[in-house]
Amino acid sequence: MSYTLRGRIESRLAALLPVVAVACVLMAVMHRWWPVQAAGLMLAAGLALDVLVYDRVLRYQPAWASLPLGALELGILLGLMRVLGAMAPLWAALGLFAGGWLLAQLLGQAGFPLLRLGYAEEGGELGRVGLVAALAVAVALTGAGATAYAGRAPVVYLAAGVHQGPLVITRQEILVGDPGAIVRGGIVVRANDVTIRGVTVVGGDNGITVEGVRGTVLDGVSVSGAKLDGIEVQGAGIMIKDCTVDMHGNSLGKGIEISYNMGMGMSMVEGCTVVGGMEGITTHSSMTDIVHDRVSGTEMRGISVTEMSMGTVMDSEVSNALGIGIYCNDRSMCMIEHNTVVGTRPDVASGNPTRRGFAVLASFQSEADLRDNQLDSNPVPMGAVINSRIAATH
Amino acid sequence: MSVAVVGSGLAGFTAYQALRRGGLAPEEIAVFGTEDDPAGTFRRRAAAIRQRRMRSESDGHCLPATFPGLAARSALGRRSPAPLVASALDRYHPTLEEFLSHVERVRERSGWERSLHSGRIERVRAVDGGFELDGNGPFPHVLLAPGQPGLNVPEELRADPRVVHAYEQHEYARTVTVIGAGLAAATEWLNALEAGAEVVSVRRREPIRRTLNVPREYFSRRGLAEFHRLGADERAARLRTLLAPSYPRGAAWDEPLRRAAAEGRFRVESSLNGCEQVICATGFLCGFRHDAPLARLVDDHGLETVDTWIVVAADGTVPALTDATRTLALAGAPAQWAFPAADTLAGARYVGHGFLRRIKACRTR
Repeated sequence: MSYTLRGRIESRLAALLPVVAVACVLMAVMHRWWPVQAAGLMLAAGLALDVLVYDRVLRYQPAWASLPLGALELGILLGLMRVLGAMAPLWAALGLFAGGWLLAQLLGQAGFPLLRLGYAEEGGELGRVGLVAALAVAVALTGAGATAYAGRAPVVYLAAGVHQGPLVITRQEILVGDPGAIVRGGIVVRANDVTIRGVTVVGGDNGITVEGVRGTVLDGVSVSGAKLDGIEVQGAGIMIKDCTVDMHGNSLGKGIEISYNMGMGMSMVEGCTVVGGMEGITTHSSMTDIVHDRVSGTEMRGISVTEMSMGTVMDSEVSNALGIGIYCNDRSMCMIEHNTVVGTRPDVASGNPTRRGFAVLASFQSEADLRDNQLDSNPVPMGAVINSRIAATH
Repeated sequence: MSVAVVGSGLAGFTAYQALRRGGLAPEEIAVFGTEDDPAGTFRRRAAAIRQRRMRSESDGHCLPATFPGLAARSALGRRSPAPLVASALDRYHPTLEEFLSHVERVRERSGWERSLHSGRIERVRAVDGGFELDGNGPFPHVLLAPGQPGLNVPEELRADPRVVHAYEQHEYARTVTVIGAGLAAATEWLNALEAGAEVVSVRRREPIRRTLNVPREYFSRRGLAEFHRLGADERAARLRTLLAPSYPRGAAWDEPLRRAAAEGRFRVESSLNGCEQVICATGFLCGFRHDAPLARLVDDHGLETVDTWIVVAADGTVPALTDATRTLALAGAPAQWAFPAADTLAGARYVGHGFLRRIKACRTR
């Protein structure tokens, strides 16, 4: 088909209308902003490509071109979502895009030609229908955007200086620490959709406690001096990124512990540095991805995926752990890829043969799939005990 | 009856389908023509050149909406996605049988026979309330789809007993010269070679290789908008360029020629030689002057013309004879001033849509 520029835009808007409607419904039902964000980005990327590229390059667009162009638009959409920090579940975002793409093909090849007899010869222009579609998309996106804006979390700034805790957050909000803002005595999150950004926490039973809530984001937080665990998450969905947890002097605490949140979807720990403590990062009965993290100087295990957890440990570095570097335990399923484990120390004092310095150990009916890990500088690179399976590929 | 279609060939038939889709009953439309089979002339010409596949693609059909096209129908009929995949790759060209059976099916269910009035219209006159067609009418809205005015045989060859036009029934002699460089000529090269003849191609210019009659953008507003903005002389020049002889690319065309050339059975020459048979694949007579009713229409009403074309509006209507109460539109080759590929099925559909829009907008209908 040889589209005119107007035809391209009108066809795109009309085809996107059902996607926008679905996105608005999803937003209302899930109380999540990402569907509308994704639909808006699909529209923005598509229109930009129409005006800047397609109209200039493609005087005629064969039907097969929809596949590579769709892939291009999907790539741009995912890139934009990443750059803008849109927190969409990958498969759901892919599903929304794929559904929209398929619908656009059906409408472009069949629906619009039946609706408007001159569709092909008019270069994809839809006349009044196109105008109405443009208005409807604009109204729907603006309405959804306004709704999301009105319902957005308030931003609370924590001034530089020491604030006596524990700080208990009981409503949806974004807590932003100015440089030098310190909470002494810990933070407790008791509301959904709380974001804590750039705050330093010193002391407290746990540095940060998150329990039974959804949508928590810890971004750039720094924790030290906790009596129990650095960051303790129970029954809560969470994303922790770019954090530092200092557990020096606390040989029984865990740097980050995420537990019993199987029903909350995927959680993530990304870009964090944990030093000291009994375990650096540990998950229990959880689906958590542990990515791009650095764990060092732990007294029991570096990273531990245990108690029927499912998760990925990827692109992380574990160094100087006592006994075990990465542990996949208790009927857990672990993907362990592109990690570096160095300097694991044998725990001679324990007398336990499973702690003789394993870089990776699978234990008690667990399954660990290893791929492209650097495990050589350790007393034992890998092992599987008590009916466990370990599969390594390079 | 408020609407008349003059011409019962494929162009008139395709426009008729648009009118029916637009809500006009067969009794509201009068079709004047000499044949009740809309594909009759096409069928004979295709048989003459032994055409097996259409040059057009999935949307080369007579219905007013491009969907479902012939590829979708073929896929359903064959229970195979292959035609759809081929169509997505612009590789689908319906067989002649597929196209002709489609025409037959559409004809049977569209009420065509109820609208058909046998007879050739010789004179179209604008009168109060519309147009009179050889004393019939008046009809407020008339579409003229007269078809091609005749076969074109170069004047210097008309008396030559060796000459046959490609679109006339013929067999092949041992040595054949084919004049022309379009689809019919290319088809005849292959036909004659397949029949064992030695073939000489005589042509004034090298043929253009493209899938469809004109570049694809000229089938939509994308190319047409710029075409319609051209001044009269530029538009005529552009039309001459666009309508130059062409045939599709592809090994199916090139390989037999390459093989035959290697065997010394195919060559290109600049003039006729002493061959036994001369096939004129030189298309049709061009221009309204070759069509008596059109020529009379122009002369009677002083219609604007450029070169061999009647000047029509972008939707194929004749501006001097079209207003809010009446419509005169041209379809088929005479509408090339509006749509360069007007002599294709897509062109007939384009004009049909425009004609229907005019009728629907008419205050007095």
